[in-house]
Amino acid sequence: MQKVLGEPLLFAQALSAALETLINQLLRYNMQGTRALRPLSGKTLTVQLTELNMPLSFTISHEKVHVTSSDEHYHCCIRTSVSTLLAFNKNQQLTDLIKNDQLDIQGDLKVAQRFAEIAQTLDIDWQSEIAKRIGDMPTYQLGRVGRSLREKINFARTQIQADASEWLVHEQRLLVTAGELAYFSRDVEQVTAKLHALQQRLDALNK
Amino acid sequence: MMSAHDQNPASHTERNDESTTHFGFQTVDKHEKESKVANVFHSVAQQYDIMNDLMSFGIHRLWKRFTIDASGVRPGNKVLDLAGGTGDLTAKFSQLVGREGKVILADINSSMLNVGRDKLRDKGLVQNIEYVQANAQYLPFEDNTFDVITIAFGLRNVTDKDMALRSMYRVLKPGGRLLVLEFSKPEHELVNKAYDFYSFNILPKMGEIVAKDGDSYQYLAESIRMHPDQETLKSMMEQAGFEQTSFKNLTGGVVALHKGYKF
Ligand SMILES: C[S@@+](CC[C@H](N)C(=O)[O-])C[C@H]1O[C@@H](n2cnc3c(N)ncnc32)[C@H](O)[C@@H]1O
Repeated sequence: MQKVLGEPLLFAQALSAALETLINQLLRYNMQGTRALRPLSGKTLTVQLTELNMPLSFTISHEKVHVTSSDEHYHCCIRTSVSTLLAFNKNQQLTDLIKNDQLDIQGDLKVAQRFAEIAQTLDIDWQSEIAKRIGDMPTYQLGRVGRSLREKINFARTQIQADASEWLVHEQRLLVTAGELAYFSRDVEQVTAKLHALQQRLDALNK
Repeated sequence: MMSAHDQNPASHTERNDESTTHFGFQTVDKHEKESKVANVFHSVAQQYDIMNDLMSFGIHRLWKRFTIDASGVRPGNKVLDLAGGTGDLTAKFSQLVGREGKVILADINSSMLNVGRDKLRDKGLVQNIEYVQANAQYLPFEDNTFDVITIAFGLRNVTDKDMALRSMYRVLKPGGRLLVLEFSKPEHELVNKAYDFYSFNILPKMGEIVAKDGDSYQYLAESIRMHPDQETLKSMMEQAGFEQTSFKNLTGGVVALHKGYKF
């Protein structure tokens, strides 16, 4: 008899359900969002993430994004890592990522670019939104199924957070560390003090 | 109350005697089963969705997603959601096949169809859905009509399953696939025991309290036990003509998704 394949596979369905709810909620908050989807109606973008052992497909229809875990049919397929993808909407171009071997694309590149444009115009902090919400999925916590699912979600979440923050801090230097911030504020204080002294001297001269 | 362990699987019994079949654990005349099943679903239709969520802790949504993911559905496809009831699968399919595609929600039971139609209309899904009252054994469609056929938690209620599978094979296009999502046999004895306890003690009580209908939920529990196991259903599909048949166990085999192609 076939081995139990059910539970790891249902993780894919739980994740795609959570992503679908999250993405459509965010699109609804942003009126520009659903209108922006129109040109992509009927199109599917498939993403294969190195960290997750399953495909995720995003299909636009009825001004909604439908997320499935299938790669049987797509207009464009991207292979990349979660960290590359989450950092993507900061200020990079798809072509840069391809050149740097951080991303592999099959099919219609325009479809991927349109999806990317939408993600960018929405100006959403995907990293924290996803990390925040994946952790508190409400159902499926009962029994063994729930527990193993939960462990996998936590693993994915830590993985996503770790990879994404490492990439942001060390590679793109968009964020500063606490030490760097302390240096910076000390510099600011010194400049302020100097300005203050200068002001006093000017005042004295003007008298 | 009978325990599930006193019973043998139904797989072979339906073939023992030409004129009788099972209604849960009872042996009844074939035509009697149809009207009894009809009564069950007329009676549960209104509470069906909420009971589904309660009884499965919401996991039926993931089982259904798994089915959609395995369907390979694409824009322009023609899909038959057989025994589609309140239309969970239809709702998703309708959005995935787009304007050029079509989904037919077919069910033998008018109450379930009505609840389904209202629900889908409320969701704004109208354009590409048709509703057909039909018996899975005698599908009123031309040969080679559908790219995908699904039957979710429906086959165990059908009186003559072999006949229904042949009928599905006939209306499927060459290259098309059938997906059968159905309760099955849990793989581990412990899960089986726990599941038995849940089905025969808790489930009918929940049915009694929430849907005010313990008997119908007693039937549901019994019909689950009488349904053919994974391997039996797979060979029934092959008998009906399906090729490259396979199944995946979900949630430890509580549910299985069977897949077969027509070439
Ligand atoms: C448990 S419900 C499943 C509904 C839906 N597919 C779902 O997964 O939520 C079973 C459905 O099968 C239908 N049914 C029972 N016997 C049938 C038959 N012979 N032909 C077509 N539908 C049938 C019932 O009316 C009922 O709506």
